[in-house]
Amino acid sequence: MPEARDRLVAEFRRLLGPSGLLTGPAALSVYARDASHLQWGTPLAVALPASEEDLARVVALCAAAGVTVVMRGAGTGLSGGAVPPPGALAVSTARLAGLGPVDAVVGAVRAQPGVLNAAVSRHAAPHGLHFAPDPSSQAASTLGGNIAENAGGPHCLSHGVTSHHLRSLDWCDAEGRPWSTGEPVAVARGLDLRGLLCGSEGTLGIVTGAWLQLTPEPAAVRTLLAEFPALEAATAAVPRLLQAGVLPVAVEIIDQAMIATVEQAFAFGLPLDVEAVMIAELAGPAATADAGARATTDVLLGAGARAVRAAADAAERLALWQCRKRAFGAVGRLSPNYVSMDVVVPLGQLSGLVREIQEVRARFDVKIATAFHAGDGNLHPAVHYDERRAGDRERAHAAADAIIKAALRRGGSVTGEHGVGLEKVHALPWQVDAVSASLLRGIKDVFDPAGRLNPGKALPAAGPAVRYAAIPSRPTSLRVDVDSLAVTAPAGTPVADLQEAVLAHGLWLPLGLAGREPAPGLDGGGTIGEAVARLLEGPMLLARATARDLLLEAWAEAGDGRAFHAGAAVAKNVAGYDLLRLLCGSGGTLATLRAVTLQLRPAPAGCWGWSWTAPGDGDAGGAPAVAPAGHSGPGGSVWLAALAAGCDPLAGLQVVIERSPAGVPTRVLALGGGTQPLLPAGSGGAVVEARRANVGEAAALLSELEAPGWCLGSADWTAWQPVAGAGTALLPPGPDRFLWQHGPRVVWLPGCAPVAAEGWRADIAWRNGHGAPLPPPPPGSPLHVLRGLKRTFDPEGKLGGPGWLTGGGDA
Amino acid sequence: MRDPRPDTRLDGRRDELDALLRRCVQCGLCLPVCATWLATGDETMSPRGRLLLLGDLLAQPADGPAIDPTVSRALATCIGCQACTAACPSGVPASLLEDAVRLAAPSGPAPAAVPGVLLGRLDEPAVLAAIGTLAAVGRGALRALLGPRWRGRLAGRRHVIATIGRLVGSVPRAPRSDRELARCLDRLCGHGEAPTCALPAAAAPRERVLWFAGCAADGLLPESSRRLRDLARWAGAEVVQPAGTACCGALAAHGDQPRRAEELRERNLAAWGGAGDEDGVTALVTEAAGCGVAIRGYGERLPAPQVDAIAWLARAGDRPPFGAVPLKVALHDPCHARHGQGIVAEPRALLRAVPGLVLLEPGEADACCGSGGAWGLRHPGLSAELGERKARHLAATGADLVVTANPGCLGQIADGLASLPHPTPPVLPLGDLLWYAAMRGAGDSRT
Ligand SMILES: Cc1cc2nc3c(=O)[nH]c(=O)nc-3n(C[C@H](O)[C@H](O)[C@H](O)COP(=O)(O)OP(=O)(O)OC[C@H]3O[C@@H](n4cnc5c(N)ncnc54)[C@H](O)[C@@H]3O)c2cc1C
Ligand code: SF4
Ligand code: SF4
Repeated sequence: MPEARDRLVAEFRRLLGPSGLLTGPAALSVYARDASHLQWGTPLAVALPASEEDLARVVALCAAAGVTVVMRGAGTGLSGGAVPPPGALAVSTARLAGLGPVDAVVGAVRAQPGVLNAAVSRHAAPHGLHFAPDPSSQAASTLGGNIAENAGGPHCLSHGVTSHHLRSLDWCDAEGRPWSTGEPVAVARGLDLRGLLCGSEGTLGIVTGAWLQLTPEPAAVRTLLAEFPALEAATAAVPRLLQAGVLPVAVEIIDQAMIATVEQAFAFGLPLDVEAVMIAELAGPAATADAGARATTDVLLGAGARAVRAAADAAERLALWQCRKRAFGAVGRLSPNYVSMDVVVPLGQLSGLVREIQEVRARFDVKIATAFHAGDGNLHPAVHYDERRAGDRERAHAAADAIIKAALRRGGSVTGEHGVGLEKVHALPWQVDAVSASLLRGIKDVFDPAGRLNPGKALPAAGPAVRYAAIPSRPTSLRVDVDSLAVTAPAGTPVADLQEAVLAHGLWLPLGLAGREPAPGLDGGGTIGEAVARLLEGPMLLARATARDLLLEAWAEAGDGRAFHAGAAVAKNVAGYDLLRLLCGSGGTLATLRAVTLQLRPAPAGCWGWSWTAPGDGDAGGAPAVAPAGHSGPGGSVWLAALAAGCDPLAGLQVVIERSPAGVPTRVLALGGGTQPLLPAGSGGAVVEARRANVGEAAALLSELEAPGWCLGSADWTAWQPVAGAGTALLPPGPDRFLWQHGPRVVWLPGCAPVAAEGWRADIAWRNGHGAPLPPPPPGSPLHVLRGLKRTFDPEGKLGGPGWLTGGGDA
Repeated sequence: MRDPRPDTRLDGRRDELDALLRRCVQCGLCLPVCATWLATGDETMSPRGRLLLLGDLLAQPADGPAIDPTVSRALATCIGCQACTAACPSGVPASLLEDAVRLAAPSGPAPAAVPGVLLGRLDEPAVLAAIGTLAAVGRGALRALLGPRWRGRLAGRRHVIATIGRLVGSVPRAPRSDRELARCLDRLCGHGEAPTCALPAAAAPRERVLWFAGCAADGLLPESSRRLRDLARWAGAEVVQPAGTACCGALAAHGDQPRRAEELRERNLAAWGGAGDEDGVTALVTEAAGCGVAIRGYGERLPAPQVDAIAWLARAGDRPPFGAVPLKVALHDPCHARHGQGIVAEPRALLRAVPGLVLLEPGEADACCGSGGAWGLRHPGLSAELGERKARHLAATGADLVVTANPGCLGQIADGLASLPHPTPPVLPLGDLLWYAAMRGAGDSRT
């Protein structure tokens, strides 16, 4: 129907102007491709909308004309996500690159989807903040692409992936209708559309804007380069490092083949005679980073490194990261094509998989160079081939498939960050069970019933011939995988039992829920299933995480009793839509959790409590003069303001400090009132020393720590969260309230009268015990989507839920 | 008329180009440094896009269809700034893009506003000097006609006066006399007048260098060029400028006149030949970054290693101290310095050595300003757009002063800044700022 096409093109052109629509052969050829080397169709045309409204209008026009839409950021995707289906309109976000002002109080910024990842950190730098997800493509890749792929990067070891750094998304559906996932807050309960859209590869909705969570820059960074004569020694060193209580912010390994490539490209001076080099980075207050670097050096030397050296200065550090981040680009010097893979396995399986990759290399006679995010168990073997040599491509893909299967046998995932795209549609059924596959397709139908958003991507292959994976046997007792830093437990396991079991291994679940006895603000009765389903939190949440950040894997039953399995015991995983984030905080309305796997962290070696009585008590001698140096975020000022005002919130103030094994203070675990030592429950059985300190000592300690977390110990409190962009002001301290706050995240006020204030949202999640029922959906939510999800998981409505969710008919 | 079919232009180089092209892994890391992509968001105007299109042309049979205009436009708009080459981890060479440009438009579309005859003679200092004078007259007339913010009023418009405005606005200029320069900077710094406005040479030169000023410097910015030599003498150089040199040949080479480029090279080599025989010539110092790259390309026959003037200054270790210049300064690196010669640290080291000076880095620092010599004349609209974008980034730093080290960039940035709708900082040659700092330092040590 050429006339229909012409009419549509004319309409696009009217909307977007002459330079906003490309229809020439040049554009149709260029936009048919991306970094994946995969090819499929020729687009109908390329649209370059310059406003969020125009973007939605373009999508609406496509809906009316029955044209499919493929979004495109920078086309750096490695799984073919941006490769257009035949006749699709390719919609580029290149002209949607606006960044709002940084909300420095909350530590957040709103960005349009075409903003380049690296531009966010440059924009936030004057405020001492940065955007933590740092894919190696960060100079070029866009936020829309990062969000659609749930991109990770070297520093995800400590900071998590893109999904962890989203406050809210604005998006439009396949009809071009605009929606929002709600106010830009840190913790949101309910059906997590933000988590579901993130990683959905442009197949569920189109991101038109995002509020991003920013992270304070660490005061000090130490980057180490270790040379390992044996590759396996390097991979085996990773779990040892974490078990030794060191948590680097990044651990990367480059193998010999990749070293050769990188050296040829950048001549950084890496040794060519070793099987691997490791880059490990430690960050935090100077003393912490130094102590971490010392401990890391010791562990690595003990694990078979022949030498470990520290980057002398910022320039050398930058060069080291450049050579890592540009490694894959450099592969072009060795081979015209390569299959880029990103399988991920539990940390404890890393060495085993590396061994199997060597076998694959020999068996298929292929060249494989690897640089990988070792700390995440995320490997990037690049299998070289030359598409012009007969059979080469097929052989490379067969080798790649063999590696994927090996990773899956080891409990891993086909993709840790690049996404399924076109490339891994065939491999997804090897990982996903039949029920999960039907749930994934059900989700797609709810969002995009006509199948117009990026069809052919992200979902597992379907059809009578497809055989899906079996569900791994559901654990019936608690299992700690020390090497992989993960714990698996039946959902009914009390959190306290779980915590006790992992502490015995020197690990802990960094959730604020723990105490068997009702400690201040803690409930004794929570089970791990409840903690996940209701996103329970305790007062230590903010220095740590919620279950949303820690959930790796779940065994569950849908409302109609169908059992399914989601995720894997790996740190990052983008195989299929993120069912786990959807289950977190859904309050059991979609499915019943049977067992879960959660991420563990090295337990603090000891917590020292410092306490002192308020000024006026004698030794404190008035208000403190010292401000915590270099602290960003409002916490410090609030706390100091409280002191400066001579306030005595709860008869005294105390700080609970976590120390590294070497005795170096690493962070503030808790800050609160009371004269009895405030010890965070579950913080470890190790030495806890309570001491009184005067205000000066405490301030000096805080300035040593530089980026404290804040805590209130009180029996009954209400959670409040700052809303990004709402002009949140710091609440003035007063005798009737006290804040506990970790940088930009949630603030707790004691259970006295809640303070209504501009920019704060009450979030009564936890009032001395149990979580609240599923809160009503935030404004801007598509009720029909939420109800559709409910029907997909629980067609007969057996699991109940609030009326707005179960109510009949589409809203 | 240009030949529409690719193969006749490929001259049997298919295999060679193809082999180079296959180095590109399509990673896209070159996109964010490409000025034409940044300004348009159109990936056909990105390095990766151009290489993909070049690949398409190579894949066509010898008697394939004519090159589509969207393809030739995409290829021909490449500035040749080499930003992408510097960013590319795969080592895809800049020459590929040059080939792509030639393929698309062997002699380029006729420049929109400048007669071809003139374009061919832009490498003659006398012609350039005349252009400089004409431009000054033109600017004066436009100012009289439209008021002091005349350039801003013409920005983005499409009529004859706007085109003339763009042309005369982008002709590089700098303070003619040392006094004028000093007054301008004194005012910005809040300094009182210096007792003497001159820069003394080092008492005992430590190094003897051959000096190549270049036609644009000679023709358009003779005083700035001389001040750069003053600086070199102050820093301990004995400057040798043999007679008989000519244009470096870059313009001819880019204008697809390889024969003329060769001729000019031979003339220069001959002129240096005599001087090079003298003892102790340590370097061949070049002023404009573009000349630097062209002369480096002469290869082994150079009498001494080519060194950019700024880079030479930075490495001249025991020069006297600079005087204070309490200004916030934003620096723009010419592409031929930053990408062509890898000069990044040197100007920064020099500026950081100036007491009181705060160095600011603009956003999109890697990207070309869109001057591109003759390129800017061939693509006036795009060139103006790029200039404004660059100017916006420079102005956004909040700098009191913008500096850069190439005549082309200087004119382009001055025009871009003048086109913005709000007051903007002045722009000066980097060498002029350093000359002033050195002069102030010398003055201080005298008093
Ligand atoms: C050299 C190199 C290194 C890399 N390193 C990493 C790494 O360390 N970690 C990592 O995770 N990835 C990495 N990648 C992969 C890639 O950069 C990421 O997947 C990135 O997030 C893609 O961003 P993009 O802007 O290029 O998106 P594109 O490739 O253009 O698109 C990717 C997907 O996002 C969708 N999309 C784009 N914009 C939107 C939108 N607004 N709304 C909805 N959907 C949208 C597209 O339809 C497509 O499905 C690397 C790639 C390269 C080439
Ligand atoms: S950076 Fe180099 S390899 Fe990557 S797309 Fe650009 S030219 Fe190709
Ligand atoms: S040379 Fe410059 S303009 Fe041409 S593609 Fe490279 S970066 Fe873009």
